[in-house]
Amino acid sequence: MATFASHRKLSDNSYIEIAGVEYDDFEEGDIFEHRPGRTLTADENRLHTMRAADLSPRVVDAVYNENVYGGQQVIGETFVLSVVTALTTKTFNKVVANLGWKNIEFPTPVMAGDTIYAESEVLGKRESQSRPTQGVLHIRTRAVNQRGEEVCRFERRLLIYKRGLGPYEAAGY
Amino acid sequence: MTELAFTSHVKVGEKRYRERFGLDFEDFATGQVFKHRPGLTVSQQDNVEESMDTLNQAMIHFDERYASTTEFTKPLVVSTLTLQRLIGLTWKTFAKKIRILRWADISMTRPVFGGDTLYAETEIKEKQEVPNDPTCGKLTVITRGVNQQGTVICSMEYDLLVYRKRYVPFDKIQY
Repeated sequence: MATFASHRKLSDNSYIEIAGVEYDDFEEGDIFEHRPGRTLTADENRLHTMRAADLSPRVVDAVYNENVYGGQQVIGETFVLSVVTALTTKTFNKVVANLGWKNIEFPTPVMAGDTIYAESEVLGKRESQSRPTQGVLHIRTRAVNQRGEEVCRFERRLLIYKRGLGPYEAAGY
Repeated sequence: MTELAFTSHVKVGEKRYRERFGLDFEDFATGQVFKHRPGLTVSQQDNVEESMDTLNQAMIHFDERYASTTEFTKPLVVSTLTLQRLIGLTWKTFAKKIRILRWADISMTRPVFGGDTLYAETEIKEKQEVPNDPTCGKLTVITRGVNQQGTVICSMEYDLLVYRKRYVPFDKIQY
């Protein structure tokens, strides 16, 4: 029996993919290495900036970026935070809702072309008083680039369904 | 009260004006509150695209049938989209930002759904000199996201570096 299963058996020779660890199975101190990593490009950084109605010339005007910021193509902090958070969603797939982040740091900037990898440690867990089907997970996520330099770290709290109490089977999961 | 503040255009010639944006570090003071405009409506399609673009696998954002079986009854907008939109919407006041140093806290206080319109507002909490760097200063600010009903859906506190007046070579690059 696998510690964490990727499939559930529906009948002989028939399996359905499942994702995410249930609240009950997380233990304080567990560390999960997330895969895949992800390469961040200047173009997608520009696109995400523009979609936020943000016309910062640093991002949309290369001449301005050259003269004011020395031409470095830095990936914006909001996009880095978004990608690092998203990379954790296979393990934390049984999420009800993301409550928030704390102490978000960027020890090394992410430059266009860098590839980042994330891992998450369980710092604590507690049952929700108001939501008996759920618990609150407290995690710390770190991301490193292809040279092993830490580029982002944060703490996060999220609500996770307990075993058998998420609305999965009704929705075909 | 209608009293105008700060400068939207620089006069660069007779009958010629150039748009400018982004306050200088010197312009900011503790206690100021800036309401950013425009607002921005987020759609469920935006939500799907943000999830796919960032490799987010949580189906609460993009499987409507699954979402219909949850307490929310429809997909939740992924909180990383909300925070990107909110920071982006502040750009006209904070265009002279060098970078965000850190967030102390981001709280998602109410759910956001496709069709909601987000507005950002920012309060200046603290203003500090940066030792050994004459080019910029540090601000600690709180940016709140407000939806079309006036409900605060997100609140975040972060530190950013902003250029001082004379350290951006705007003339040279015709800005």
